[in-house]
Amino acid sequence: MTVSRIDREDSGYPALLREIFDPPDHLYVDGRLPDGPMIAIVGSRRATPYGTRTARRLARELSARGVIVVSGLARGVDAAAHRGALEGPTPTVAVLATGLDEIYPPEHAGLAREIAVAGAVVTEAEPGTPPLPSRFPHRNRIISGMSLGVIVVEAAERSGALITARMAMEANRDVFCVPGSIENPVAFGPHQLIKDGAKLLQTVEDVLEEFPALVAPCPPTRVASRKRSGGSCGPVDPDLAAVWELLDWVEPRHHDELAAILNLDVKEVSRRLTLLELGNYIIGDCGAVTRRPQN
Amino acid sequence: MAKMLARALCGAVFGLEGVRVDVEANIAEGLPGFHIVGLGDRALQEARERVKIAINNSGFEFPGRKVTVNLAPAQLPKLGSGFDLAMAAAIVSAAMERSLPQDAAWLGELALDGRVRPVRGVLAITAHLERLGARRFFIPRANLPEARLATRLGVVPVSHLSELIDHWKDGAPLPEGGSAAQAEPGTQPEPVDLAEVCGQPHARRALEIAAAGGHHLLMMGPPGAGKTLLARALPGLLPPLTVEEALEVTTIASCLGMLPPGAGLMRTPPFRSPHHSISPAGLVGGGGSVPLAGEVTRAHRGILFLDEFAEFRRDALEALRQPLEEGRLAVARARGHAVLPGRFILVAAANPCACGFAGDPARVCECTPLARARYRDRISGPIRDRIDLQVRVLRQPAGELLGETGYGEPSRVVRERVQQARVHQQARRAHGPLNGSLTGPMLRRDAPLPAAARDLLENAAERLRLSGRAIHRVLRVARTIADLEGAASLELSHVAEALQYRESG
Repeated sequence: MTVSRIDREDSGYPALLREIFDPPDHLYVDGRLPDGPMIAIVGSRRATPYGTRTARRLARELSARGVIVVSGLARGVDAAAHRGALEGPTPTVAVLATGLDEIYPPEHAGLAREIAVAGAVVTEAEPGTPPLPSRFPHRNRIISGMSLGVIVVEAAERSGALITARMAMEANRDVFCVPGSIENPVAFGPHQLIKDGAKLLQTVEDVLEEFPALVAPCPPTRVASRKRSGGSCGPVDPDLAAVWELLDWVEPRHHDELAAILNLDVKEVSRRLTLLELGNYIIGDCGAVTRRPQN
Repeated sequence: MAKMLARALCGAVFGLEGVRVDVEANIAEGLPGFHIVGLGDRALQEARERVKIAINNSGFEFPGRKVTVNLAPAQLPKLGSGFDLAMAAAIVSAAMERSLPQDAAWLGELALDGRVRPVRGVLAITAHLERLGARRFFIPRANLPEARLATRLGVVPVSHLSELIDHWKDGAPLPEGGSAAQAEPGTQPEPVDLAEVCGQPHARRALEIAAAGGHHLLMMGPPGAGKTLLARALPGLLPPLTVEEALEVTTIASCLGMLPPGAGLMRTPPFRSPHHSISPAGLVGGGGSVPLAGEVTRAHRGILFLDEFAEFRRDALEALRQPLEEGRLAVARARGHAVLPGRFILVAAANPCACGFAGDPARVCECTPLARARYRDRISGPIRDRIDLQVRVLRQPAGELLGETGYGEPSRVVRERVQQARVHQQARRAHGPLNGSLTGPMLRRDAPLPAAARDLLENAAERLRLSGRAIHRVLRVARTIADLEGAASLELSHVAEALQYRESG
């Protein structure tokens, strides 16, 4: 571990962070704090598969466009965001509430090492600081303070992710929210923020168009390929399309339900689901079938 | 003084096999006493009192001299009470200064009043002693149907020691063996009929495939989804045991003392459902100084149902690997080793997570991702690897349960298809394994893939990152699906369906 300490006066100290009203005096950094536009992705620790999938995809796409993804290394959305960013070319930054030698949650120690290879794991806490509940809001102000904007993927009422979003608004940063189902309790937070004036986010373009000067232009080939795949086109084969039409992007369906609705033998449903799966149209998780988002 | 030594042929069970035991009685001048030598356990030492009092209560006076009984071979550990009758016969003959016929065998436990009680393992012991040359079998009357399964030779059912003593004293006629009616034992709980299961077409289909090809099955679903009901329907889908299989099953039941008195050949496959607190030795066998059979052996040729699969002790589940792989279990103990049979269909049922609601559309799972991963990992990869069929079972809506529609075919209809599929399997391998036990090289011969099906499987292996073992699982299941349709070679549709029973990613 190559730990360094950056004081507020040092040139390596993140410029945006200096602007908030109570910036930390110093930061401990494992790895090298990258220089460039940063966007935070935060959300629930108990995210749905839709939430983690979305966070990962957004992070990967931001990374592909040269944006540094900042998050908190927590379970759920945070970890998915870091993982997505690691799949792209730009480094990612994880901000901890604990000391650098007390990675929390412990199962993310490996993820933290991966992040520190090209990016940085950052904290204001002294070495040896354990995961105290009171420290997490302090951590959240650093996440939003370093970033141009904050993307909230899924957040329950009164959650840490909402605190981060409020802090971002107070620091005059942009807040973007990924909408969810109105039946989903962890979609409550983002929906509330949208009502309060946060920007509804559907694609990374919704974020990038707010910062035209800072971000590298979109590679043309990617745009073309996205256009071609069309996003929501189902299979051509009418048998497969009949099954695909019944599937949802978020709520899983079971073989039994599909067989009942289509009035088909369940073995025929199984056959069609395999073909849909191999055609990359669906995600079939042992009886919990959803559409696969095209990207 | 005349020679006062007599020998009676007897037998015991070791593992699940009969072994010969010779019982010798010697009566000598000396202080009155009764000694048993020859590595007997506690029950055998207590036989002294039983035998002595039973003889006295059967119209004969126990000799008031020094009586020594030896059980040979001396190095074999001898358990239980099955030697009582042989000891009494040897002692009485020695006292009467006559010898017993060399080709007669004696089995039975004595009650204090002289009645003869049934013992374990009569089937295995009788069959073994017949091979060694025994021609007449004196056995407890309650064990008659069992002994009749083992031998066509003379069987004398004894209900009371006095019957033998009267015969020796006065030439009274011995009881008639007759030809025993083969009573069907009613030990198995009646299987649930599939017609009672509401909905669940996916799981029903998996049950049918499991029954047809002898595949192991894992059902995942929230509490109350009907996993147990489905498992209890499986016995009703299996064809009755062949005579050969029934003999194996009956022998095991007899050796383990599970055969009810008066029971004959067991024609229905056993169904065992041990509780999840069972020890490894209880599950697969083991025991102290001598090998003892466990639930795996009791489930031989039938079904081993493990409910709350993830709650079983880790070491118990790991111990299942050998029987799952080989259909038998080698148990080595200080006093010898035994190979115990254990070819069964494993039906495992588990909640998807500790609270049971992960993946349930109607309820929120309260587990953290780490807790969910830990729960999942309780069923280790090597065990999952050996389970061909994995399905998710959903809770049925109340409207469906109360309605009249939604209830499927009865077991009888499915069983006919299963039987047909078994016929196809036997046509390929007359006495060989069912599809569920086919190995890689066997699959290459039995499950040839036409080009289209092969392309599909290759595509799936790449996209879904299937391991070599996973591909074999898909092929085994596809082979059974084809057999259920009576198709000779695998079609694309068979492979496509089989891919839906793999584990969740």
